[in-house]
Amino acid sequence: MPEPIVRFTPTNLAGFVVTLAATSPARLADELHKVFAGANRYFAGEVAVLDFREVTEWPTHVDWAGIAALMRRIGLQPVGVRGVPEPFHTALARLNLALLDAISPEYGAQPTPHATVAVAPERTALPAATPEATQAAPNDSPRSASRIIDRPVRSGQQIHHPDGDVILMNGVNPGGEVIAGGHIICWGPLSGRAIAGAYGLETARIFAHRFQPELVAIAGIFKTFEQGVPPVLAGKPVQVRLEPTPETAEMRLQFDILEL
Amino acid sequence: MRIVVVTSGKGGVGKTTTSAAFATGLALRGYKTAVIDFDVGLRNLDLIMGCERRVVYDFVNVIQGDAKLHQALIKDKRVESLYILPASQTKDKEALTETGVEAVMDELQQMGFDYVVCDSPAGIEHGALMAMMFADEAIVVTNPEVSSVRDSDRILGLLQSKTRRAIEGREPIKEHLLITRYNPKRVEEGEMLSYKDILELLRVPLIGVIPESEGVLHASNQGEPVILIKEDKAAQAYDDVVGRFLGENRPLRFTTYEKPGLLKRLLGGG
Repeated sequence: MPEPIVRFTPTNLAGFVVTLAATSPARLADELHKVFAGANRYFAGEVAVLDFREVTEWPTHVDWAGIAALMRRIGLQPVGVRGVPEPFHTALARLNLALLDAISPEYGAQPTPHATVAVAPERTALPAATPEATQAAPNDSPRSASRIIDRPVRSGQQIHHPDGDVILMNGVNPGGEVIAGGHIICWGPLSGRAIAGAYGLETARIFAHRFQPELVAIAGIFKTFEQGVPPVLAGKPVQVRLEPTPETAEMRLQFDILEL
Repeated sequence: MRIVVVTSGKGGVGKTTTSAAFATGLALRGYKTAVIDFDVGLRNLDLIMGCERRVVYDFVNVIQGDAKLHQALIKDKRVESLYILPASQTKDKEALTETGVEAVMDELQQMGFDYVVCDSPAGIEHGALMAMMFADEAIVVTNPEVSSVRDSDRILGLLQSKTRRAIEGREPIKEHLLITRYNPKRVEEGEMLSYKDILELLRVPLIGVIPESEGVLHASNQGEPVILIKEDKAAQAYDDVVGRFLGENRPLRFTTYEKPGLLKRLLGGG
């Protein structure tokens, strides 16, 4: 029997609830500027639910496109809203923003009374770690904990994959950053930043086909290359791993040239 | 209708010169083409196209409903089927709303345009994001120097994440790399990155290399797209770019430096 070409699989996507206590894009932009110091794409494209339940005074017109654009500017992808009065619903539908009040109203961050913009992280547990999730999707196809990135990771881009390895098929350019819970395997030049074992995995390694990074780190132990990568390593296939120093047993980064 | 954004990140690399030349090149081949200046507040395209004295209404007027699109579009006097939509010099750049830009694009489509060329402002702020938002293809303009290449890399990342095609998960924008102000002699002497170095850094298909040329400055002061100055090497290189964009096979020119021979030096040519 052929595989069906459309399949529905329940998922717990990582995302954020962004509580907004004002609706003027200018005011929100101001506040976001304070929080993120003007950094564009602070987030890595996670989905966001915009919660407006703390708004006390509603203007007659709200620039929803402007608010959505603000969220995208910091790297969030708004998918829906909560706590928005009925007159605005058609405007929201035009922007394809879902009204999520009816769906699991308890899902969300606690209101924070002080901040105008409260950004509440809401990472749901790994699907693999929750037995319910595995039971809920018995027909789920086998899933890899690794993430493969086919395009070059470019300046200003960040690949954040806390749940496993990242395999880069087209290198990391200067100013690009890859953060993996597990290993980082990089085909093509590694010219940006590579952070493996980001959540403390000391056995994580970094493999680079052409080693010329700005920074490498494993389990929090990092090295920058201010004076450039040492000529013996530069541009070579290199593996980076953690190893205890013989004298103190303290962990340090070890660089090995690989034979290809 | 295909929407093409000409962008770079860095300023002063030749975006507007490229937009003018490229749009003119498409129109010369009979395609109905509009070129839009997204640099609200600065306004350069109309100068380069030599129509600054004919500007009555602008892009922002159209978006805000103060003028109809056909009133604001300026028909080029030299090339049939070429139209210019100038930027506003007085309005705030936030006036370019996403819905407003989209409405203009829809209307251009209805008017039967084949190509819309969006001349992006420098930077990665609102105006630049609006210029790329609806694009189907992107020409990323880079100069052969490290900071320009880095900025282009940044812009390529944004093209993959901030555009309608990316947001809606459609087929990604088709990217083209255009290297301008290329000086083969300085590349030879190691003062400039070679186009091969740039290609290796950015890993995007190359659509052309425009040599550094006096003609470009001269043309922009005259208010004439450089592509119309047929004998100029930059004009010929831009013509190659248009050809390649339309699927023709044109070998690279003007990328190698030939040392002047003894005879030429003695005769004082060169």
